[in-house]
Amino acid sequence: MENPVQTDRNPTVEAYKTRMRGIGKYGIFVAFLLICVVLSVVTPKFLTVSNLTIVVTQVSINALLAFGVTFVIITGGIDLSIGSTVAVTSVVAASFAHPDTYPVLVPILTGLAAGLLLGAFNGLVITKSKVPPFIVTLGTMTIGRGLALILSKGRPVSNLSDSFNFIGGGQIVGIPTPIIILLVFFILCSVVLKKTVLGRYMYAVGGNEQAAKASGIQLNKVKMVVYTLCGGLAALAGILLTSRITTGQPNAGVGFELDAIAAAIIGGTSTSGGTGTMTGTLIGALLIGVISNGLDLMNVTSYYQQVVMGIIIIGAVVLDSLNQHKN
Amino acid sequence: MKRINFIHLLILTTVLFTGCNQSTSSEKSGESGGKKLVVGVTMLSMQNEFIVNVSDEIEKKARESDIELITVDAERSALKQIEQVESFIAQKVDVIIMNPCEVEASSPAVTKALAANIPIINVNSETTAKPSAFIGSDDVESGRIAMKFIAEKLKGKGNVVMMHGYMGQAAQIKREQGAREILKQYPNLKLIAHQTGEWDRAKAMSLMENWIQSYGNTINAVFAQNDEMGMGAVKALTDAGLKDNVVVVSIDAIPDALQAVKKGTLDATVFQNAEQQGAQAIETALKIAKGQTYEKETLIPFQLVTKDNLAKFMK
Repeated sequence: MENPVQTDRNPTVEAYKTRMRGIGKYGIFVAFLLICVVLSVVTPKFLTVSNLTIVVTQVSINALLAFGVTFVIITGGIDLSIGSTVAVTSVVAASFAHPDTYPVLVPILTGLAAGLLLGAFNGLVITKSKVPPFIVTLGTMTIGRGLALILSKGRPVSNLSDSFNFIGGGQIVGIPTPIIILLVFFILCSVVLKKTVLGRYMYAVGGNEQAAKASGIQLNKVKMVVYTLCGGLAALAGILLTSRITTGQPNAGVGFELDAIAAAIIGGTSTSGGTGTMTGTLIGALLIGVISNGLDLMNVTSYYQQVVMGIIIIGAVVLDSLNQHKN
Repeated sequence: MKRINFIHLLILTTVLFTGCNQSTSSEKSGESGGKKLVVGVTMLSMQNEFIVNVSDEIEKKARESDIELITVDAERSALKQIEQVESFIAQKVDVIIMNPCEVEASSPAVTKALAANIPIINVNSETTAKPSAFIGSDDVESGRIAMKFIAEKLKGKGNVVMMHGYMGQAAQIKREQGAREILKQYPNLKLIAHQTGEWDRAKAMSLMENWIQSYGNTINAVFAQNDEMGMGAVKALTDAGLKDNVVVVSIDAIPDALQAVKKGTLDATVFQNAEQQGAQAIETALKIAKGQTYEKETLIPFQLVTKDNLAKFMK
């Protein structure tokens, strides 16, 4: 067998789980299409190339965060600190991105390093202390927010170079760069999850930690990698955001973790761990983005927007779970 | 699984509560030394650039007057703010300066301070309960100034969109009120859409992108209730190649906005004088402490900033 993890698991249970995963994804995909169809009928502005391009561009930041958090949730963990990581990255990258100072690679690398470090910090504390990830990352969330404010003295970091602003605001052959970055990392994350040993270990750790340990998987190593990876993806989202709004913001990313977790869960990632796909998460993120865009297009008042958004999110997940129960 | 979740929740609550207690107990460490005048300051949010500017000025002026400051951040929570004022009362500070989080919810802080015979000064925004003194600007006026500028630029005719701050906050309500007062005077000025951008640049940029999809080049002007959102709107309009045809006005005159006015991407911003508010707050505190007469209400006027008078506002 090419898969060393699944050999000592019950094959029928595995088959059932895989099937459920497939159907779950299918269910949310149907819900997504349904909402798109409804929006296209209600507002003629929705189904245009330019609008859809904008939706995907807007979704890219949340999707990158959601990819990272999907890894974490699959291993049975959670990461609440990613919104703050966005802020730290934003401030760090912006500080190195002033025109005529450093080449554009420097803000990218320092920003990424900041995110990877925060992620590694999470991983280290979680694996060494056995304190639940919820608590640890809640702490890191506050630490990160504080760090971002300290580094920026509470003020936005402005005046960034054109080459840096290209990352989130440019176009390559007519396609906005955030969409290209999104696609590249979607493919990379999917490959890691589906085609590598690491990905299989993630499912194994989240599915049954004891069994994974018994089969010789080094739990701590997997967790370390996963939280670091999540921090790195959050950093990437932070760089993209900073470049898109052409300023480093210490209060950027407040509440982003919830949108990212929502995208993952809408996309069929189970909070109890062991299941989830990047495709599902991407659709989850697109669903949130499409709803928000559609409500703006229809000029639904702010008060109602939040209610409608909540109802649709719950509805989508309920539809998804009904689908799973039927089978 | 359920039990674990419950334990998580329990730990979380404990962590949160001990966190709160720690923050209040640490404030008490700032003891009043000798006869130095001690002023307790609680600010709405130190994550907001304008508020940080007010706070910095308070600090600067306090240093000049040899006043001991205890500054705390209410982090947008009125409940926290009340606790902070209670702690100031317990420490027997001489004067309290409060930058209220909310009109109603921060009111008990004022009542409690006055009941304890400690004068309290509200800075920047109001509470229902009347404090010893108020220093700030009238947000309704800023909305009027901004929309008036749009009306004049468009010669009283055109389509306007408005970006709100957090719905229900005093600044949002008042800036909207001011803008609508002017809109009423110009029947040919149509508000075709309004929506919240939550004071946030990235959110405002997405909102503007969506509006451009919806209304395209029929939009003639954008009124954003703060500069952060104004900058987001400018970015989206520039990316869509529409900026030259659309007037954008916002409020606060943060450095970024002044730069944008200089470059001509932002047409105007409205200056709210953070330095004056901070300085006046400390001055009033001094007067009250010394038993001198003082103004019960000091309104610092807003000023429209365009390319023509920009130099005055650039530092």
